[in-house]
Amino acid sequence: MGTQRPDFTEFYRGSKDECLFTVLLSVGDIDTAQDLVAEAFARAWASWRTVSGHPAPAAWVVRTALNANISRWRRRRREVPIPDPAAIADRASADGAGGPVDPRIMAALLRLPARQRQVVALRLFLDLDTGRTAAALGIAPGTVQAHLGRAIAALRADLVPERQQEAPS
Amino acid sequence: MTDEELITMVREQRTSVPMTTPVDQIISRGRAVRTRRRIPGIAGALAGAAALALAVAALLPAGHQAGRQPPIQLDAWTVVKHVDGTIVVTVRQLHDPAGLERTLRADGVPASVTFFGHEPRACHNYPLDLALMHRVFGGHGPPLVIHPSALPSGTGVQLNPGHYPRGGPIALAAGLVRASPRCTGS
Repeated sequence: MGTQRPDFTEFYRGSKDECLFTVLLSVGDIDTAQDLVAEAFARAWASWRTVSGHPAPAAWVVRTALNANISRWRRRRREVPIPDPAAIADRASADGAGGPVDPRIMAALLRLPARQRQVVALRLFLDLDTGRTAAALGIAPGTVQAHLGRAIAALRADLVPERQQEAPS
Repeated sequence: MTDEELITMVREQRTSVPMTTPVDQIISRGRAVRTRRRIPGIAGALAGAAALALAVAALLPAGHQAGRQPPIQLDAWTVVKHVDGTIVVTVRQLHDPAGLERTLRADGVPASVTFFGHEPRACHNYPLDLALMHRVFGGHGPPLVIHPSALPSGTGVQLNPGHYPRGGPIALAAGLVRASPRCTGS
């Protein structure tokens, strides 16, 4: 047991922000996301022998956090928070320590269909390869690629024109 | 802007919102979880089971409509089969999973039911398909609504009611599995 702590601590420090951001994209509220991710990491610690052997421990944490969120959502009588990218950016800035949140990017991510957002989160934020992403989501690798391609196209449509408009010609 | 540049720009956001909970606090909470946990692996099993991706409420809502057939009313859970074939499952107490399983099977739903704290029966998960899940389970609850007509041939449902998170009210974790005599009875 004594050998678990350094590994877990390293895992936590190396993946906590990515896990939080991934959950935040689904939950839309920083406080809720923090609570869910903290609880999921606590469960990961409690089962560290198993979780550390998982092919993608960060994906385990995210999945556990999102599963817990479904229960929260139900208890709140189906109230679904409407994510406010600007509020998220303000709150993240107030917390400090992180980099700047771009509300436009956050909004573009939140506009993606849920499955595309899941693929983006696993592939780009948790750095899972296509195979592990496919396994985590229970879909074919080709489907992962297709969703990622559509997501990137949607993000481009959302983000690039705005940036180009800002740039002096 | 190339795709790589776009991806890099989006990726930069992933550390923009810091997780501020100290690791010691996480570990302290983890110790409490471990102490309370007597049957390990459920959370992991749920997390790892791609099919178990939908949790729905089990508490009976005030607006619940009575079924057109007399419900099978027990203390622990209720199964109501409507004339259109939909089945409404409400779980109030974690008792008699075998009875719930038998009732669902009698209503034509290949089902595997285990309660939280018990290892889910070994079943082959059906590939996760959220659109299909929503057709079968009618979206998120409460309560759990099963549309058997939406089940593809050779599939069944796996229910794992429990307190998610621990100490919370009862919720149903529901997923799709490949039907088999060992898993779903048919």
